Amino acid sequence: MTLAHSFRYLDDIAVADMAFEAEGDSIEEVCRAATQALLESMANTTAVGSTWHRVIELQDEELPQLLFDWLSEIIYWKDAAGVVFHDASLTIMNKDGLWTLRGRLVGAPVDRQAQELRNDVKGITKHLYELCERDGKWTARVVLDV
Amino acid sequence: MKLKTTMHVNKITDEIWEIPASEKSGMLVPARIYATEEILQSMDQGVFDQVTNVACLPGIVRHALCMPDGHWGYGFPIGGVAAFDVRNGVISPGGVGYDVNCGMRLIRTDLTLADVQPRLERLMTELFRLVPAGVGAGGFVRLDRKAFDSVMRNGARWCIERGYGWHSDLSRIEEGGCIEAADPSKVTDHAVSRGINQLGTLGSGNHYLEVQVVSDERVFDRAAAEALGITGHEQIVVMVHCGSRGFGHQVASDYLRIFEKAMRRYGIAVKDQQLACAPFHSPEGQDYFAAMNCAANTAFANRQVITHQIREAFASVFGSSAEELGMDLVYDVAHNIAKVERYPEGELLVHRKGSTRAFGPGHPELPEVFRRTGQPVICGGSMETGSYLLVGTDRAVRDTFGSTMHGSGRTMSRAQAKKAIRGEQLQQQMKRQGILVKAVSMSGLAEEAGFAYKNISEVVETVDRAGITKKVAELRPIGNIKG
Repeated sequence: MTLAHSFRYLDDIAVADMAFEAEGDSIEEVCRAATQALLESMANTTAVGSTWHRVIELQDEELPQLLFDWLSEIIYWKDAAGVVFHDASLTIMNKDGLWTLRGRLVGAPVDRQAQELRNDVKGITKHLYELCERDGKWTARVVLDV
Repeated sequence: MKLKTTMHVNKITDEIWEIPASEKSGMLVPARIYATEEILQSMDQGVFDQVTNVACLPGIVRHALCMPDGHWGYGFPIGGVAAFDVRNGVISPGGVGYDVNCGMRLIRTDLTLADVQPRLERLMTELFRLVPAGVGAGGFVRLDRKAFDSVMRNGARWCIERGYGWHSDLSRIEEGGCIEAADPSKVTDHAVSRGINQLGTLGSGNHYLEVQVVSDERVFDRAAAEALGITGHEQIVVMVHCGSRGFGHQVASDYLRIFEKAMRRYGIAVKDQQLACAPFHSPEGQDYFAAMNCAANTAFANRQVITHQIREAFASVFGSSAEELGMDLVYDVAHNIAKVERYPEGELLVHRKGSTRAFGPGHPELPEVFRRTGQPVICGGSMETGSYLLVGTDRAVRDTFGSTMHGSGRTMSRAQAKKAIRGEQLQQQMKRQGILVKAVSMSGLAEEAGFAYKNISEVVETVDRAGITKKVAELRPIGNIKG
């Protein structure tokens, strides 16, 4: 069975930080994979509850910037609300050349006794940042500042 | 000699190497790397590429520099130093680092290893309880927007006024713990929301709180050590490494976006998008400088609140007040910052990213307490190998814009380190070495294993021999708190 999306962490891209490559069969799938990679880098998502949620809508003419802003928004809410995440769903639409991402973040307040916490990601960087489509397959490469 | 670059690298001395300005199109000045031959060979290609990219930035003066702990960073290398003429030069968030005013703080005590060893487990548990660490951890200080504005303006002074520290602390913090040119109106609401709950928190990554011991045989300059409150004789000290947390990162990210657009307007082209910059005297440049100083003050306040909590923990465990335990601050240094300083070329904006200011004895900007010794420099090593206290020199002021190294520098990626050892395994291994570790994240702990870093002693020897800082004492870890 082929998964519609997947991700892997990259070993040697950023010595002091973290990086991942996400793949998907569509723009939505690659964004879902990148989102999952980011959530997993901060905490084991299966051990995080679902008591907190936030609906987010973002727009941009460029898809790479839209994904960058979405991932940055997740980092923002991690700090602003003091939460880690269980899941994040999203849809992406295009109307008249403007891309719209609607997402829903689900998580719970940080609890170091109950959750398996990982890295406190401080931001998404533009270093080697890429979102592209080749032969119907979408790929995103993202370096996280930890 | 085999280097990870094809560029010509000329030997100037045993510790200084130069890449001529002719090596890359657009270089305005040569690049200089401080390293022994061995350290130079171990440096990743990014150091050579990035330090020469920095040498292309408008208004750069004399040399683009990299210290021996240098490694690849975003835009500038970590360990990078560059000075720009304030009249025609630029300011770049990539030259400051995302974690604005990430820095080191050292607190002395009158306690010895014999006093602390029997209560070390209790002490580390109490420190772990009182100093929040790790993902999303919030501090105990509750602030509204008005109070946070005051923190951004007043830094550590704000903390002292509210009882989180001693008045004597301020003279032992770089800039007195408060940089004047901070303007909260230049900080976005987004950044404020990320920072308002984080005062007094360590974060994660390579940030830590460490209980250390200073042995007699590892005091190298007895007079300087005594002047700084370091007695040796198995003395216990406490080191803190952290910065402005998510707040500083958001300030940097917000202005990188502004600068990307501004560069087109000012006709500035850079070799790497993360070197985005603006003329220092442009509205965008001045706004970033004011916002960056807000983040710098917040970082001073963060380390001050953590210091208060450390003193509380020690007082609770040892049944004496922090004053009775002699818990004075040795010093607090920034190692991610841009500051206006005066040199023979005139007023320069000195960017230090993973580099520490190192003013020598008698420097007019040093407070009276350090006029004889020179400015203390605190360099953190890996959690297994120890750290160093050094002092600045006149030579640093002459040769490196008063700058030196900041730590040991990574040589192995986080992913590779995690493959090599598990966090629980490392924790046990360190316990056998006499180092008690409390960590929020076991995978985060594995990423910080000692073998993932350069040998700090080699790095320190390089700056000592180059004369840009002088060793005072080595600090050996016995307890560590990690996010």
